[in-house]
Amino acid sequence: METEPNAPRPIRPAGVRTKSGTTTTSRAARPPRTKAESAHEGPAVLSIDGLVKRFGPKTAVAGIDLQVRAGSFFGIVGPNGAGKTTTLSMVTGLLRPDAGQVSVHGTDVWADPVTAKHHMGVLPDRLRLFDRLTGAQLLYYAGVLRGLDNATVRKRSSDLAVAFGLDEALHRLVADYSAGMTKKIALAAAMIHSPRLLVLDEPFESVDPVSAANITEILRKYTHAGGTVVLSSHSMDLVQRICDSVAVVVNGAILASGTIDEVRGNATLEERFVELVGGRREAEGMEWLHVFSD
Amino acid sequence: MVARLLRLKIQLLFNTFRRSPWHLVGLLVGIVYGLSLSTLIVVSFVSLRLVPADLAAPIVIVFGSIITLGFLLVPLVSGVDDTLDPRKFALFSIPTSTLSWALAIASLVSIPSIVLLFLAAAQIVTWGRTPGAIAVALLSAALITVSCVLGARVSTSVAAFVLNSRRAREILGVIAVTAIVLLSPSFVLLLAVDWASDGLRILNVIAGVAAVTPFGAAWAAPAAAAMGDAGSAVTSLAIAAAYVALLAVGWRLLVGAMLTTPQRMVKVKRYGGLGWFGALPTTPTGVVLARSLTYWGRDARYRISLIVIPVVPVLVATPLLVGGVPMEIVALLPVPAMAMFLSWAIHNDVAFDSTAYWLHVASHVPGAADRLGRALPALALGVPLVVGGSVGAALLHGDVHVVWSIMGVSACVLLAGLGLSSITSARFPYPAAHPGDSPFAQPQAAGAASSLIQSFSFFAVLLLAVPAGVFATLGFLVDPSYHTVALVAGLLVGALVFITGILLGGRIVERRGPELLAFTLRN
Repeated sequence: METEPNAPRPIRPAGVRTKSGTTTTSRAARPPRTKAESAHEGPAVLSIDGLVKRFGPKTAVAGIDLQVRAGSFFGIVGPNGAGKTTTLSMVTGLLRPDAGQVSVHGTDVWADPVTAKHHMGVLPDRLRLFDRLTGAQLLYYAGVLRGLDNATVRKRSSDLAVAFGLDEALHRLVADYSAGMTKKIALAAAMIHSPRLLVLDEPFESVDPVSAANITEILRKYTHAGGTVVLSSHSMDLVQRICDSVAVVVNGAILASGTIDEVRGNATLEERFVELVGGRREAEGMEWLHVFSD
Repeated sequence: MVARLLRLKIQLLFNTFRRSPWHLVGLLVGIVYGLSLSTLIVVSFVSLRLVPADLAAPIVIVFGSIITLGFLLVPLVSGVDDTLDPRKFALFSIPTSTLSWALAIASLVSIPSIVLLFLAAAQIVTWGRTPGAIAVALLSAALITVSCVLGARVSTSVAAFVLNSRRAREILGVIAVTAIVLLSPSFVLLLAVDWASDGLRILNVIAGVAAVTPFGAAWAAPAAAAMGDAGSAVTSLAIAAAYVALLAVGWRLLVGAMLTTPQRMVKVKRYGGLGWFGALPTTPTGVVLARSLTYWGRDARYRISLIVIPVVPVLVATPLLVGGVPMEIVALLPVPAMAMFLSWAIHNDVAFDSTAYWLHVASHVPGAADRLGRALPALALGVPLVVGGSVGAALLHGDVHVVWSIMGVSACVLLAGLGLSSITSARFPYPAAHPGDSPFAQPQAAGAASSLIQSFSFFAVLLLAVPAGVFATLGFLVDPSYHTVALVAGLLVGALVFITGILLGGRIVERRGPELLAFTLRN
């Protein structure tokens, strides 16, 4: 779980990549937690190498390297506009990178998208769904597009609906769902073809705590069985609680990555994150807020 | 408060110019179009000053009524983006009356309102022939401006507030189209009037009715005054003033209600089973087809293109028949025209998906399956339409042999049109109304680029139909046996273009998936 992979690097376009910042490398500092073990030992199911994306003059992703090993529960955290969504879009084949390589289970996403995309389940953030379909129809659509047969899709749809608490809503239009329910049906659609790798952009945003706990449990069992989850989140507590590894992305570059314990050291992940991002600004001159206008 | 909201509205107006170049081009085209149209009307109004009052009156009253009515009705169907929705100010502690006043005045700062101000001023020039008429025209100018602007405010808010559910908006869209369908023959009949001899009489009748309605009264008052009819002028002014008062009270009550009513909860409809998905094969083509069919049934944007199909024959045939073209010839045209419109329905299909298209990119749907699934619903509707329509048209025409020619040309237009649409929707998508928006809410950026693509593919389809058309003409002029050749030629060319379109469009979709998604994200 390093930004410095030991494996030989593929050739990378020259002059487009900035080195990711301070990298936590104290691998032997403490015994790895049991749940991180598989993360250290499994083969890399996702490897990102020198990924760059520019939008006009603005560089959104400035050379990201990352290895995610099979069976790990990987969190990507960063402040707003750090490039998390851009990175995940390039990983999932939704956004063409300006430079760099992404490979999933040994297949280059941009050279052989058919195979690579087959290994991935995707939950994008802030993109629409085909919301004139009912929940059941959307799951069926996603399942068949992913190559499942009729019986399997129906079986998995009803299992997913029960697991995510959507069975009551399956026959309503997705357009009439609440924000949390929409997130859950999209998440269900992402995992219906049992991919090796789940790439989830803000999976818990506006999901209620009970559903979030259920989903966490499902994802945990999935990683124990050898599946891999990469998720982005704003919630440090959540990432510290459920992920075994984490990468901190700021201004399109990775500032730290490793197991949760390696990255956070003796502090909480949130404290370490604030420190990495450049510390909190003291809220000065806000005394007027303590005198109320009537 | 008034000054502050005015400043906000002016800022909003300027910000519309600070967008991407294509937006700007679209906006500029719109402005140039609007400016030239309004200049034309203003110049006409000013020049009507030189025309005798009894001749100018019906023209001004009828045009004016259409303008006032337009300000009231257009926001209802067009789904105007309301930048000054009263509910946006609900969290600030502004007294309701102050807010309703301020919002009404601020809505004077918009491009339609500014054009309206010029028109209201122009009619003063038309009628300012006597001191009395000048006074009435000044009053009327104020009444015209206030009634139009308030009318637009009220109906925009009604559209946003009362009709805020998705289903209500869709139903309204369907009602609007049905109304257009029902009215279209009467427009055509209006065209058929011999305006040179009867025109003035008919205008006078319409103007006489309009003058006592709230929409025409403010325009009619100065006309009456200029003709020396003080009584009518006062009556018209009173009607116009009553309308303004009604709108003002309605607006104040509406603002009050909007600020205190939570968003309406809509009854949610339940659907059983999987619908089309359960009936069609479990393959990528099958599910894309099922999804398309479901959208044709549920999405107002697709339904509009369906509703237009039966209007086409009416619009094509009526003016020709009225113009004296014999039935035998007129009967040949509607079926190919309907085939053209049907194949047209999917020419921007990816833009209709909006960002939901990510699912196709992430799943890497086989391109041909994506294209074919989208084209098949139109083909499924088109085949019975072409076959049945051709038989009907041949019967109307009188010679049954013609059926093969009509069928050949129509099938060619349908198939070639679908093939080309499969390519254009993949290679040249342009901004479309978002899912759930009014089907009439065409984004401004759709301007120049899209009309170029549309006219190009239109002429390409016409060109591809030439072989079938030539054989059909030979069938008429030389030997009826050429009609069957026309059918074969039409089917061959059509099938070839259709298959090419599906395959080529499919390759484009596979190669440019991320670019297509990026396009939907921009809009």
